[in-house]
Amino acid sequence: MPAEKRYAYLSILPVVLIVALFTVYPIIYALWTSFRQIVLYEPYYTPFIGLRNYREVISSDYFREAWQTSLIYTGIALPSVSAMGLGIALLLNTKLKATGVLRVLILLPWAVPAVVSGILWAWIFNSTYGSFNGLLYSLGLIDRYIPLLSRPNTALLCVVFAHIWKEVPLAAILYLSGLQTIPNELYDAAKVDGAGGFTCFRHITVPLLKAIVLIVMIYETIIGIITFDLLYVMTGGGPGGATSLISYFIYEELFRAFNFGHGAALSFILVVAMLVLIIAYLKLLPSREVY
Amino acid sequence: MSTISKITLYILIVLLGVYILAPFGWIFMCSFRPERDLFHVPPQWVPRRVTLDNYNYVFTGEVPEGFEIRGGLRGRISEKARYILPGLKNSSIVALSVMIINLIFGTIAAYTFSRIKFKGSLPAYMFILATRLLPPIAIAVPFYRIVQSLGLLDTHIALILAHCTFTLPFTVWFLTLYLKNVPPSLEEAALVDGCTRLKTLFYIVIPVAIPALAAAGIFALMFSYNEFLFALFLTPTIKSQTVPVIVADVSVNPDVSYALMSVCIVLSIIPLLLFALVFRNYITRGLITALRMK
Repeated sequence: MPAEKRYAYLSILPVVLIVALFTVYPIIYALWTSFRQIVLYEPYYTPFIGLRNYREVISSDYFREAWQTSLIYTGIALPSVSAMGLGIALLLNTKLKATGVLRVLILLPWAVPAVVSGILWAWIFNSTYGSFNGLLYSLGLIDRYIPLLSRPNTALLCVVFAHIWKEVPLAAILYLSGLQTIPNELYDAAKVDGAGGFTCFRHITVPLLKAIVLIVMIYETIIGIITFDLLYVMTGGGPGGATSLISYFIYEELFRAFNFGHGAALSFILVVAMLVLIIAYLKLLPSREVY
Repeated sequence: MSTISKITLYILIVLLGVYILAPFGWIFMCSFRPERDLFHVPPQWVPRRVTLDNYNYVFTGEVPEGFEIRGGLRGRISEKARYILPGLKNSSIVALSVMIINLIFGTIAAYTFSRIKFKGSLPAYMFILATRLLPPIAIAVPFYRIVQSLGLLDTHIALILAHCTFTLPFTVWFLTLYLKNVPPSLEEAALVDGCTRLKTLFYIVIPVAIPALAAAGIFALMFSYNEFLFALFLTPTIKSQTVPVIVADVSVNPDVSYALMSVCIVLSIIPLLLFALVFRNYITRGLITALRMK
């Protein structure tokens, strides 16, 4: 049926065109840039320098630090979001009346921009007038305000906290939608056979949620590693680079240092790293329902 | 369910509610208080003075009392806060356009992917999905150059294109999954009678797919309204700046007026909160139906 074929190609054309123009061309361009010296102060002198950009960024101290910070950040955020999301979904899936209100409330942090979430929490964690410090002080737990956002360790924790608050709702909604697709008969049958609550959870809920777990893990890993908005408004990557995740580091190379060769090389390393991670997930948790 | 476990669950629900609402409640309260009252140590948990001056300033430009005393810098940052209203307009234009483009082209493409077998269908589908995994920062500079060479810097169109690039893959994936679950028997009669694919899609498939379309549209709209990185460097002036850029701009100033910043935040989230509340059922229900496992 040639008419049907023609329709098929035409119908996907707009999407393929938009997506291709704004991803394929940029990727090729970035690859080309990454092999050249392109810096702001010599705009017309862009020699081919092979892998020098890659060597320079990989051997810089900031690179290792940025990856370390990214891994710590994602290492805290991913398990917290996954576990809290599942916990909240289980809570929302109970038959209590109050869960109806909560199902609406849970959408709120998800609905606001990450920038807003960052500002909300930065104001709460503010070193001189913040309400978190105020609360601890009023309760008598501290006798003077702690500069939470200007100490390396606590600053990272504050950003992760804002991140979790913003990301948990989507995970919870995804898990909830997964839970609701599990037929009740399975639980009833298991109960008849004498299975307890935890056994049901372990042998019915967890295996049937595998596809959702995979989606949440992939999505949250990506979101964790590419976090940028929160850092921009909460810490500006500081203090002393303590919250410079990898994409903030790339942003600094591109838009502060204007070293486009370095930025492109870094971007490429990031793309490859993400691909490796995602393939690893798909291998670890094979699930055909995802696509 | 035993009484004890019920009580535990209720306590958890209340704690969760507080955790979600506390930041909103605090910023909402701050937006109605004079700037100076925010600088108490420890904070006044119950406001002693309540005022509409901060809102009045953002809407009319009338400077609240107490600001003049602090001099020039205060004045500058306060002016920035007033950009939130044009920002809301820009954001609405961009986000609604992104939603409409997603719904039209995303639906048509998803329908084809879910129904018609043709050469290159799987590679094309996989290609579209794979682009969603690209870190946005990686394509930032080349994207900027494309936009620049098209003469589209500081326009709504540039941002709409950027956001469509990021949202279309999700929309196509989500709707394809959903439409695969819709039995094709409904459409077969129409196709046999000589109805074209496009007509079949509009008259027969779309009416049963409304919940999924609504969910996909909402996701696209929310993404666009919330997107920050591309908005930051594609929109240098208020001509096209969106809400996240403006609130970030106001808040990263070290000499920020916290009361006016609070007003900006409240104004920027009200449309979204209303939207999320009105369409809450579509969001959860749409996801549930789309992710239903076969």
